Amino acid sequence: MVLGSSVNITQDGYLSLCFPAGLMLTDESLNQLHAHQAEFIDIEQTDTRRDEQIAVDMALAAHRVLQIFAGADLNDPTMASLFNQALCYRCA
Amino acid sequence: MMSDTSLTRDEVIRCSRYLPSFPKLITEILTTLDDHESNLRVLVRCVTLEPMISARILAFANTAAMRGRMGSDVCNVNTAISLIGVNRVRHIVLMSCMDAFMSSAAQASVPVSFWQHSVAVGVSSVELAMYVTMPVITSAALVAGLLHDIGQLWLYRFKAEDMRICQHQAVEHKRGADDVERDYHGVDHCTIGAWLAENWGLPRDVVAAIAGHHQPEESSDITLVSLVHVAEVLSNALDLGNCPENRVTTLCRSACDKLGLVWNDEIRPLFGRIEARSRHTNQFFMIGNH
Repeated sequence: MVLGSSVNITQDGYLSLCFPAGLMLTDESLNQLHAHQAEFIDIEQTDTRRDEQIAVDMALAAHRVLQIFAGADLNDPTMASLFNQALCYRCA
Repeated sequence: MMSDTSLTRDEVIRCSRYLPSFPKLITEILTTLDDHESNLRVLVRCVTLEPMISARILAFANTAAMRGRMGSDVCNVNTAISLIGVNRVRHIVLMSCMDAFMSSAAQASVPVSFWQHSVAVGVSSVELAMYVTMPVITSAALVAGLLHDIGQLWLYRFKAEDMRICQHQAVEHKRGADDVERDYHGVDHCTIGAWLAENWGLPRDVVAAIAGHHQPEESSDITLVSLVHVAEVLSNALDLGNCPENRVTTLCRSACDKLGLVWNDEIRPLFGRIEARSRHTNQFFMIGNH
């Protein structure tokens, strides 16, 4: 098993594989992922941007989300929850 | 503000004869979904007879991911189908047919962002259909999502100047486009789209989803209506489709409840999948390069 120890979580019909940090994805391990019809790989990596740049980028992203939701009633709990998740997703 | 006369169903259907024929294949695929063998026959016939669709399926099978499994290029359609699966082939066929139809139906007055938004809502509908716990047929979700704004395409094509005025009014007065359209034409793009879909013989749920995607509470018994409503809200919330006018103004609580959606931290992987797949689909079909 090339992929090493992994945590398998099946939820909503999706199989998620969490690999240990630093795992090298070789051709063979990629082929194994392909064999399971893997579609998306999220890779955690160090953010090399300077703090000022991160702040600028987050402000821009937040501004766009606010613009998109400008006409929404954020007193409505359902809308407010969606807004918060969109904001977190964009500014993460 | 109101035009001289309200649009009628007869006028909409009469004008639609100047549009290219709606691909019968889409109706055939959707109406044979319950019969696996008939559905497969329709797909195989289409893939065999349509070189563009064959090429797309081969291209999909030959992406790096698929090559990794085979060790060599896939150049046979049957091998490609067995590799990528019938469900994915069905989606490629549906997307290809819609792409061809929209490209020929649209004229210069239709912005590129219209099709990109349609694709985003189609993709979002499919991902939501796979995410929610109640059964929703993904092919129906894809077609309903792709066609949800087909009434706008009709307006762009046959009432271009009125459409421009309505859009200007909607932005200037911060009103919903459908609201302004009802004032102006007596009906909105949802109703026009539903008339078209009904005339093309599309399934009842798809027609209802097109009709009710802005007001899903009026068709609360049909899951696909709630699904397409939320899919459109999500595609706007995530700013998909390269459209500066993306806005979220309403979100029907009962539609979210019906789908069992809770907007907490666990929803974010779904956002990622929708965004990634929407980008990939728009690139795959080279939207905007027509």
